[in-house]
Amino acid sequence: MSASWLIRRILLIAYTLLVVSLLVFGITQVLPADAAVMLLGENATPAALAAVRAKLGLGDPAWLQYWHWLAALLRGDFGMSMRTGQPVGPTMLVALSRSLLLAALALALMLVFAVPLGLAAALRRGKPIDLAAGIVSYLGVSLPEFVTATLLLLLLADRLHWLPATGYVPLTDNPVDGLRHLGLPVLTVSLVLIAHVSRMVRSETIDVLHSDYIRAARLKGLSPRRVLFGHAVRNALLPVITIVALDVGYLLGGIIVVEEIFAIPGIGRQLIVAIESRDLPAIQAGALIMAATYAIANFLADIAYALLDKRIRYD
Amino acid sequence: MIPILDIDGYTLEYRTRAGAVRVLDEVSLQIAPGQVLGLVGESGSGKSSLAWAVMRHLPGNAQELSGAIRLDGEDLRSMGARQLEAVRGRRIGMVFQDPATSLNPTLSLGRQVAEVLARHRGMSAAAAWQAGIEALRHVDLRDPAALMRRYPHEVSGGEKQRVIIATAFACRPELIIFDEPTTALDVITGARILELFRRLREETGVAGLYISHDLALVSRVAERVAVIRRGQVVEQADARRIFRAPTHDYTRALVQAVPRPERRLVTDGPGGPTVLAARGLGVAYGRARLFGGKPVMGARGVDLELRRGEILGVVGESGSGKSTLARAFSGLARFTGAVVFEGRALASPRQMDRAYRRAVQIVFQHPDASLNPRHRVGALLARPLRLYGGAMAELPRLLEQVRLPPDYARRYPHQLSGGEKQRVAIARAFAAKPALVICDEITAPLDVSVQAAVVELLLELRRRHGTAYLFITHDLSLVRQIAHRIAVMRRGELVDLLSVDALGSEAVHPYTRELIAASPTPVG
Repeated sequence: MSASWLIRRILLIAYTLLVVSLLVFGITQVLPADAAVMLLGENATPAALAAVRAKLGLGDPAWLQYWHWLAALLRGDFGMSMRTGQPVGPTMLVALSRSLLLAALALALMLVFAVPLGLAAALRRGKPIDLAAGIVSYLGVSLPEFVTATLLLLLLADRLHWLPATGYVPLTDNPVDGLRHLGLPVLTVSLVLIAHVSRMVRSETIDVLHSDYIRAARLKGLSPRRVLFGHAVRNALLPVITIVALDVGYLLGGIIVVEEIFAIPGIGRQLIVAIESRDLPAIQAGALIMAATYAIANFLADIAYALLDKRIRYD
Repeated sequence: MIPILDIDGYTLEYRTRAGAVRVLDEVSLQIAPGQVLGLVGESGSGKSSLAWAVMRHLPGNAQELSGAIRLDGEDLRSMGARQLEAVRGRRIGMVFQDPATSLNPTLSLGRQVAEVLARHRGMSAAAAWQAGIEALRHVDLRDPAALMRRYPHEVSGGEKQRVIIATAFACRPELIIFDEPTTALDVITGARILELFRRLREETGVAGLYISHDLALVSRVAERVAVIRRGQVVEQADARRIFRAPTHDYTRALVQAVPRPERRLVTDGPGGPTVLAARGLGVAYGRARLFGGKPVMGARGVDLELRRGEILGVVGESGSGKSTLARAFSGLARFTGAVVFEGRALASPRQMDRAYRRAVQIVFQHPDASLNPRHRVGALLARPLRLYGGAMAELPRLLEQVRLPPDYARRYPHQLSGGEKQRVAIARAFAAKPALVICDEITAPLDVSVQAAVVELLLELRRRHGTAYLFITHDLSLVRQIAHRIAVMRRGELVDLLSVDALGSEAVHPYTRELIAASPTPVG
């Protein structure tokens, strides 16, 4: 991993975000929303509307508006929410931090379950545990998260009363209660991930276990445990990193639905609220932040890959 | 004296959907202490299965019907998993065919050597690492301490095989099993590995089971040779005797099929005009990049010419530019310099017109990769016929020419054997009525007996059509039997271009001499 590669990669991320910003701006331009009407309400006088339009520069050509918006972005200014009149940036970032907490917990839970499950299924190929893991996986992959969410809600909250059904309690207020409130959303999101990743771990492990170098390791007299953990697991998990990085994309999408169902004020819910109220600056900020999260996640995955596999060299 | 390895009436079957397949049938072999037994057989003969049986590493569908496998008098078949772990790597070492895939790509070489020492000799991690350095030094690897920290992809194939040999010898085993240890290596690298093996044998007095398809090579490393065919040992004899006086018909056929340089198969010289020539031909791979990195030269400054009916052998180790030459001539690679065809100098593949492509055909190394698996043989052969204005009625004749029955036109490639597939590829090349056929290692994946038949076929086609061949191979003995002239490539350059009779003379390049010395010729 050379410095020049890192620099080029970071420039590429910046370029990607620039393209995304153009797309986002273009889409908000064609949305059927008049910012002046949004601000002043349906009953505003034409004179008042015209004054607001002039003040916001809504009469300017699109490229000039884009330029102003971009210049403000680069200063860290995402604009003012049309709905609340508050700055959009800080609101979105606080929401993002809640979503990231949810995503991180889901990823952690996924790793804790998916890797052992995949390994067990690979080692006991065709045995009951493999079949059971397979069925659970297919269910997890094929059920949309609003269905799993509802089922989990019915079971764990409504029937068993183990976890609270909805709501959000900041961890800083009450860590235990905060985690309990995150329980159902984390479970919902991670279930799909576990299903997906455990299948991947299984097939990769099966491939690796059939490789020549695993046979060579066995014929050196190493114990099955050493062969598995010293030689096979690392190679089997490498491709999983790529999948997890791609899953971050799913995670961002899935989180929107899950946050809505469980009433968590994360970035997804903020984005939905913004779209419902035609809050253009908030939509733009939310979409950009999500794109940036995705780009950075893939960047981190590339770095992790290079650190684990010495064959990979970025230069 | 108790033999180190005693295989007694061993019979093995694989259960498949089509029923039980017998892979080893009443096999009995003994290896005395310090003795090396060569096991020779063609693909599918069961020779590798025997190695897996000894290592007790058989696939799940294997069924052992009878017999015993004893190591120094102890029955391996009755040992439990734990006991076997203590035998593998400790009392029996193994060296594998392909060093590139037998080392874990994500672990350092040092770790892969040291783990055996830690496992079997109870060494601490630090002591095992030190002993690992010594083990690598012992197999003539330079700067072993630095090598320990490197990864498989950072070293050459020969170095990888040395690391594997060091690992196999690390715990002073009683027996070493070699499974075609030089097949995946260059001729010269392979010869050095064999030298190393001889030295280690003398030093350690280890007994060995040397498995190979190459009778000539085995007769040089082993004291005794066993020939195995369809799971049965058909002949077992002293290594020197088996070449001079084979008793079994199959052994005789094998001995016959081994290429011998002194037995020329082509007697007439090339005649007529020049078919194709190269003038200062060069091929660069990759491109110059902004941040450093020069293009790799696959070949440079190559001058040669082929006359009608001439067989030009191209030899050299892998990466020497042999195949690059084939890619340039067939228009698959961009080149510098010129290819001269019918008096015209062609400066790029784009100038190779239909007449050129018709006249210059190529047969690739792997028929599995060069024949579309979804097309029937008939469709594969019809394509060039249509392209170059042949008649479909020629199809049966094309097949007959390569000695395949006409009804093979309805078959798919996977229904044919390796040799038959290569015949189809040859028939496809000849459908265009070419003046020159480039043969890129076409016999490498084939067994010796099949190889002999394919070579014979090529020579017959040449007699009939006056075709010239650019015969690329790593097998110097084979090419000395058939080529008029030999081109020796090294690191992209043509170091020698001489008549086959001149090979023994003083004027040859030192590298050519090294190649000749490294080529296994049969003893006796």
